[in-house]
Amino acid sequence: MEIHAREKDDVVIFDIEGEIRRSDVTDVTLHQLVKDQLDVGKRNILLNFKSVEFIDSFGVGEILASYISTHNLGGKLKIAKISKKLYLVFQVTMLTKVLEIFDEEELALNSFMGD
Amino acid sequence: MAKDGLHRIFSRIVKIKPDELKISFLLFFYLFLVIAAYNVIKPIRNASLLEELGYQYLPVVYLLTAVIIGFVVAIHSKIQVKISRYALITLSILFFFLTCLIFRIFSGYGWQGLPIIFWVWANVFIIVLNTQFWITVNDVLNPREFKRLSGFFISGGILGGFVGGLLAGSLAKENVEYNLLFLSAGLLFVCSLLVYWIFRWQKREQSVQDKEEKSGDVKAGTTTKPGFRDSYKSVKEHNYLRFIATIVILTLVVSTLIDFQFQTVVQNNETGNLTSFFGYFYAGLMVFAFLLSLLMTSKLFRRYGVRISLLLYPLVLLLCFFGIGIAASLVMAIVIKGSDKSLSYSINRSARELLFIPVSPDIKYKAIVFIDMFVDRFSKGLGAVVLLIIMSFGIQDYKGLVRVVSLVSIVMILGWIVFTVRASREYVNSVKKKLPPPAPRPDKLVEVGLDVDYTKLIFDTLESRERSPDLYAMHVFELMKRGKLTPELRQLLSVQAEDMAPSSLGTFFEADSSAFIRMDDVDNNDVMGKEIQEIMSLDVYENVMKEYIDKVLSDKSSNAETARMEIAKGIGFLTLDSPIIQKLEELLVDDSSEVRKYAIESAAKLRKREYVPVLIQSLQDPPTHSDAAAALEKYGLRILGSLADYLCDSDEDLELRKAVVSILAHIGTQEAADYMLWELDENNEEMDSELIDALDRIRSEMPEIEFYEDLIKKKIKQKLKSYYEQFVEFADKESKGKDEEICRVMSYELTNSLMNIFKLLGLIYPHEDVAKALQNIQTGTKKDVAYAVELLDNILEKEIRAAILPIVEDLSQVERAKACAALRKDFPEF
Repeated sequence: MEIHAREKDDVVIFDIEGEIRRSDVTDVTLHQLVKDQLDVGKRNILLNFKSVEFIDSFGVGEILASYISTHNLGGKLKIAKISKKLYLVFQVTMLTKVLEIFDEEELALNSFMGD
Repeated sequence: MAKDGLHRIFSRIVKIKPDELKISFLLFFYLFLVIAAYNVIKPIRNASLLEELGYQYLPVVYLLTAVIIGFVVAIHSKIQVKISRYALITLSILFFFLTCLIFRIFSGYGWQGLPIIFWVWANVFIIVLNTQFWITVNDVLNPREFKRLSGFFISGGILGGFVGGLLAGSLAKENVEYNLLFLSAGLLFVCSLLVYWIFRWQKREQSVQDKEEKSGDVKAGTTTKPGFRDSYKSVKEHNYLRFIATIVILTLVVSTLIDFQFQTVVQNNETGNLTSFFGYFYAGLMVFAFLLSLLMTSKLFRRYGVRISLLLYPLVLLLCFFGIGIAASLVMAIVIKGSDKSLSYSINRSARELLFIPVSPDIKYKAIVFIDMFVDRFSKGLGAVVLLIIMSFGIQDYKGLVRVVSLVSIVMILGWIVFTVRASREYVNSVKKKLPPPAPRPDKLVEVGLDVDYTKLIFDTLESRERSPDLYAMHVFELMKRGKLTPELRQLLSVQAEDMAPSSLGTFFEADSSAFIRMDDVDNNDVMGKEIQEIMSLDVYENVMKEYIDKVLSDKSSNAETARMEIAKGIGFLTLDSPIIQKLEELLVDDSSEVRKYAIESAAKLRKREYVPVLIQSLQDPPTHSDAAAALEKYGLRILGSLADYLCDSDEDLELRKAVVSILAHIGTQEAADYMLWELDENNEEMDSELIDALDRIRSEMPEIEFYEDLIKKKIKQKLKSYYEQFVEFADKESKGKDEEICRVMSYELTNSLMNIFKLLGLIYPHEDVAKALQNIQTGTKKDVAYAVELLDNILEKEIRAAILPIVEDLSQVERAKACAALRKDFPEF
């Protein structure tokens, strides 16, 4: 799994590639990367799942931990471009009730402005 | 420049902010003009009745006024829901302006009934315009502004009374000088201009949110049929408004009794020239009330809050009644009358009107009209009835009469005090209701909206299909055992299955490795569970499996990873007496994070104490961190001591200790909270935020848990002092316009520090109130911030209040930096 961070309209976008799996974890996890951004004052986080093929329970834990950390500091964490297959799983597990998920990155970025 | 100079002068007397200067003076002169105009009319009213009809007509005009006021309330209530408040007030002023001129014109005709009509009109004049003034104040000021400014503009009213009386006295050339009505009309004309400026100011100041709120209010107000009965119902149906009405009734009845005592004592004592005595007395009283209002009212609100400010008046009168009851002397009569009038004109009027500010607008304006217009008049009449009853006992000795009146008054004051305490309590509740409820903690939100364990299990189930049918079967079995194999999930698993390829690895259950379990094969009942348990408890099964496990564990090739995962998962289905579970310890430290994850899950099911140290160490391992934390949470109370050892060991890894804090928060018992408090007392700044957040979580979920108040206060002090330092430094850097990035980070740090301070406050004060206040301070409109600060002002202790309010009050950065610098030097100890 590779994660690249970029910034647009005061939103930190994490482009994630590959699979968010326990077995692929390096020293720095997604949650740690999000916390690093929060530490320097960023409050709007967008996870771009365009190139994410699959996540396991570790990945779910990382997303939820990142969500909690961001919201604890009054920020927002959203997800964009999730695959249909993964979205179906998110729906059944009701993750869609908690997480804000958008089809397109632009829509997600606009939604931060409206908050 | 002139404005700055003016502000500098006035800020020494009254706490007026530069941007409040305009509205303060507008309100000051608005009340000044209304009261001055009335005090010009009042002597004409009295003189015309006494001169043209005689004092015998006094009961007639009293009664007529009371009846007419009832109609006025009804008409006023009907009109006020149909037109804007600005239009209502302007039309009222116009009405009294024109009627002033009409009375002047008709005064020359010598109609006998005119003095009676004029008397009633004059009373309606002051009641309507005075009530409308307070409605305007309610419209434009929030409680914080009201507390700061009310003393100032009420002093305008007192001054208006003084100046009006002086003008009437000096300009009157005849016994009944109707020409003075021109003067009143002139004053009213100026007053209408002020009203225009006030509402223009309000329009500019009001945020979009306020406008929306107002439009909603108007709609709400039109749903019931307006009128006298509707206004009465508004008061009757709301406890808080009933308390206010009762206080007003008791206040005015007692005031009537005081007036009677005063007159009786003066009449029975040597005062020399009575007119001169009353003249000097009332003049002195006006000056005293003016100074009291200007210098003391706001200070009293600021230092002692609403309750004490409201209680001051009845308590002082209570003492005076004891005094005059014991010695009915002239001095005591002057003291009680002086206290009554000076306090009622100044502090009590402010405190009483402040009570209306947080009331919902759809009932507030009806209630103000009913209480300030009708109840006010009715109570004076009631006071007269009480007096008549007392006098009917035929007490001849004036001292005896004064004593009986004192006794009756003392009983009434005791009731007044009780209702004041209840009203001040309700005031705080009304302030709370003005604030939107706090958003739940994000972790709570996730827990409520989501079954995290179940969610993870689904993802693991899907993931396991890629690995092995046996691992998949174990997941499906677990879902079934938990009763979570819903039709939606069955469908999902069937859909996903189309994309999966079977694994060729060995199996734990020695089943056909190429065969995937089909959803149709799984029946959601206990039969399968029982069968599996029976198989697992067989001795022969244990022997065979032990051999198999040894073989798999000795295979260090990567191909055996899935087999180890299956074993790690399968052990979780065994019972504690099975010898196979001993193998779990080895799997907990497996090289593969996937294997460790399943081993940790099984450890959480078996909950043997031996696993705890490995589980705690796994907290440091990113891939298994959350699994280990979840497993330790399941151990609960049993491992509190072990967790506390790690928490308090400063040599341990910081991240591990932070993870322990989070687990303790989940366990959430009194003991867990105590361990964290002790650690908090160690003042390790790196741990503070985690500890405070964890304690806040416990407090939000279990309000019954107690926190050592002294320790929390000590921590609040420390955090506040640090906040002051940070803020002064931040403001200094910002004012120099340098280090933009550093300033940005500092600003976020300040926000976090403030959150920590509030979380600590929430441990020793009502958690929801504190959370509500913080949320509105951070994200609310100017009005929300004012109500949030007002809430804190009412729930915090005096010293803590003094230390906290300056950092949350609506101040400019420069003012806040000054306040922080001052607090840094002179910290209010608590």
